[in-house]
Amino acid sequence: MRHFVTVAVVAAALPFALPAQENAAPETPEAVSVELPDGENVEIALPESVSPDEGLDAWARIYEVASHPRCSNCHVGADNIPMWSGPSYGRTQPHGMNINAGESRIGAETLPCATCHAMNETGGNPEPHHAPQVAATWRLAPVEAAWFGRSSEEICAQLRDPERNGGRSFVEIATHLDHDLILHWAWNPGGGREPAPYSLQEHVNDVLAWGVAGQPCPGDG
Amino acid sequence: MQITVNGEARDIDVEPDMPLLWVLRDELGLTGTKYGCGIAQCGACTVHVDGMAVRSCQTAIGDLEGASITTIEGLGTPEALHAVQAAWIEHQVAQCGYCQSGQIMQAADLLARIPEPTDEDIDAVMSGNLCRCGTYPRIRAAIHAAATTMREG
Repeated sequence: MRHFVTVAVVAAALPFALPAQENAAPETPEAVSVELPDGENVEIALPESVSPDEGLDAWARIYEVASHPRCSNCHVGADNIPMWSGPSYGRTQPHGMNINAGESRIGAETLPCATCHAMNETGGNPEPHHAPQVAATWRLAPVEAAWFGRSSEEICAQLRDPERNGGRSFVEIATHLDHDLILHWAWNPGGGREPAPYSLQEHVNDVLAWGVAGQPCPGDG
Repeated sequence: MQITVNGEARDIDVEPDMPLLWVLRDELGLTGTKYGCGIAQCGACTVHVDGMAVRSCQTAIGDLEGASITTIEGLGTPEALHAVQAAWIEHQVAQCGYCQSGQIMQAADLLARIPEPTDEDIDAVMSGNLCRCGTYPRIRAAIHAAATTMREG
């Protein structure tokens, strides 16, 4: 089967959109548990209250994930060149084979990412000799979400800015992590690749805790 | 499962994680598509899946139910060569020739999407197809020639 997997988007079932700087926990929704096609099971449940310090601790863990090579290698800038960095690569370098994903961010202008990163219904590729594959179209993150090499302060400011985070509240960031299979790959990269730290559920929990704490960033006055 | 290969319906009975390249060569006897590296680094195994060039060593057959595959054997015929194949002969591109079926399949895809490619377009699209003989100047010249042929009919 080669059709793209359509995942039930939890965001559509959540009847609220939260302002970015809300401090108190909003009307807490019932925890939503979603069985995903790749076997992940993610719960979206907001904590009742989170202190600013706990929020900063949550952010520190979020930054560990965001800056990890499984995530940051594809969060690159307007040159549209994916990166190869991290323990699998020896030294940080641009993606081999002169790859440029173009403004489409999927390589439509030149060589599509899917030439090698084939759509794979099994939701991941365990073999070290395969290009990473998921049950979705392989692509770079949107250019507005470029953060390869950026600091914790810079990425934090980006992620709480609706102009640069796709217009998302923190709950919508969490549900985005939930429904986008290419993001799940970071915790299940196969092929001996180092996964992103923590787990998808822990990362979602940290995003929710950071949000309930008011999305604090290092360096806030 | 069923796929179409070079216009012919084929029933395939193999494990779903078998790469398409193995199916083509070992199950169907279509050995024009070459095994180069098996790790998406060389492009020798390039074929078209539903009109798009892909590395057949990277594509699991289980993900191709109902797909239409074109290999080098189905791109043109000796009597009616594809413009890229004709240009390959005209420019005597091949040296050892091992990479050329992959090169030609990738070049045909390039020209289907970019009818008037610049040198930069060609370099961007063809850089994933390696030629150990270093025939890159002739590859580039042949692609320009094929583009002209295709535009002028």
